[in-house]
Amino acid sequence: MLDITIGHYLTVGAVLFTLGVVGIFLNRKNVIIVLMSVELMLLAVNLNMISFSSFLGDLAGQVFSMLILTVAAAEAAIGLAIVVVFFRVRGTIAVEDINQMKG
Amino acid sequence: MEDTLREYLPILIFLVIAVAMAVGMLVMSYIVVPQHPDSEKDSAYECGFEAFEDARVKFDVRFYLVAILFIVFDLEVAFLFPWAITLGKIGMFGFWSMVVFLAILTVGFIYEWKKGALEWE
Amino acid sequence: MIVQALMFYVFAAVAVAGAVMVISARNPVHSVLYLILVFFNAAGLFLLLGAEFLAMMLVIVYVGAVAVLFLFVVMMLDINTLRLREGFLQYLPTGAVVGLILLVELAMAGGGWVFASDVEELRAVPVLSEISNTEALGRVMYTDYLYPFQTAGVVLLVAMVGSIMLTLRRRPDARRQNIAAQLARHKKDTLEIKKVPSGGGI
Repeated sequence: MLDITIGHYLTVGAVLFTLGVVGIFLNRKNVIIVLMSVELMLLAVNLNMISFSSFLGDLAGQVFSMLILTVAAAEAAIGLAIVVVFFRVRGTIAVEDINQMKG
Repeated sequence: MEDTLREYLPILIFLVIAVAMAVGMLVMSYIVVPQHPDSEKDSAYECGFEAFEDARVKFDVRFYLVAILFIVFDLEVAFLFPWAITLGKIGMFGFWSMVVFLAILTVGFIYEWKKGALEWE
Repeated sequence: MIVQALMFYVFAAVAVAGAVMVISARNPVHSVLYLILVFFNAAGLFLLLGAEFLAMMLVIVYVGAVAVLFLFVVMMLDINTLRLREGFLQYLPTGAVVGLILLVELAMAGGGWVFASDVEELRAVPVLSEISNTEALGRVMYTDYLYPFQTAGVVLLVAMVGSIMLTLRRRPDARRQNIAAQLARHKKDTLEIKKVPSGGGI
């Protein structure tokens, strides 16, 4: 119980990832929370990368984790820019209203 | 691993003290302060602002653009920290690889400058 | 050791509870604040794993920039909060079933898995104990991992150009100050002095 193994960290990562997936299913009216769920999933992936890196004594996982952080930040920036433009054109941010290629 | 964590022990103690103080102040203000609620006290005085109204106001998209550009340069600076520490070890190759990285981002910087994204009209 | 285990459980519990609140909070602003809480606790977990630099980067980049960006957008679009909650219960069974299946799959994958016997020799970048985490990262990232590093630069460039393309709108009716034109104005271009004879008119 007091001996924290890699399994403990992987469990936290798995639970966070699952919560991210469930969040995408639940929030069909709000794209912003869907984007936050994607951030949660990327955070879970990062946690997995770093726990393997730490328990195996291999730094490559942390290097890739930094790249995941970069990609996640870029994805948030572009995703939110699209949300802002979409809201300006259509006046809504519900996922089910995004059903036309040309708004 | 144990030693590095020991260095973070003061931060942990600070965190505990900070949380305890914040919670303590909130709880004490509930216990100590006399509370006589009155609807006149909450209403606006003459032509003052409403005390409770919707916090969402539409504001200019420009603030958002500045925030995005801040993220990009924030990450750029985060990449600079390990480079600055190890500059003596990684040699000319490491130096030039960072210069190429900065050059790529400078292209974006010139683009936003020329596009007028930094101007506040 | 006991403190370490205790901190792991605190950070992990708060992170998971915060993640539950992110996806179920009624108000999007509260969701963003819970997301910040999750990031802080994940940074704590990273610290426990010995990834000091990434923990600090998570706090600086995510809490300092990405969460602020989310908060900006939530405040900027004035959305009806009640309408956003419609259909939450309707999608709950589907989401719960999919989540449960995914969790069971992940648990099965996690349960039936062992390290390879030659895992020690397969390490790409072995961790040296005498240098700090940040220095160890710096030693490999700019040389051995040159291509991923430059790709990160290009990704940031694309993010910058893309967001400017999407959101920047010039207002044709806005009056702008052209400082160069103002400074270039000369007295003889704009001002003419005429001698007016007294009593004669122009």
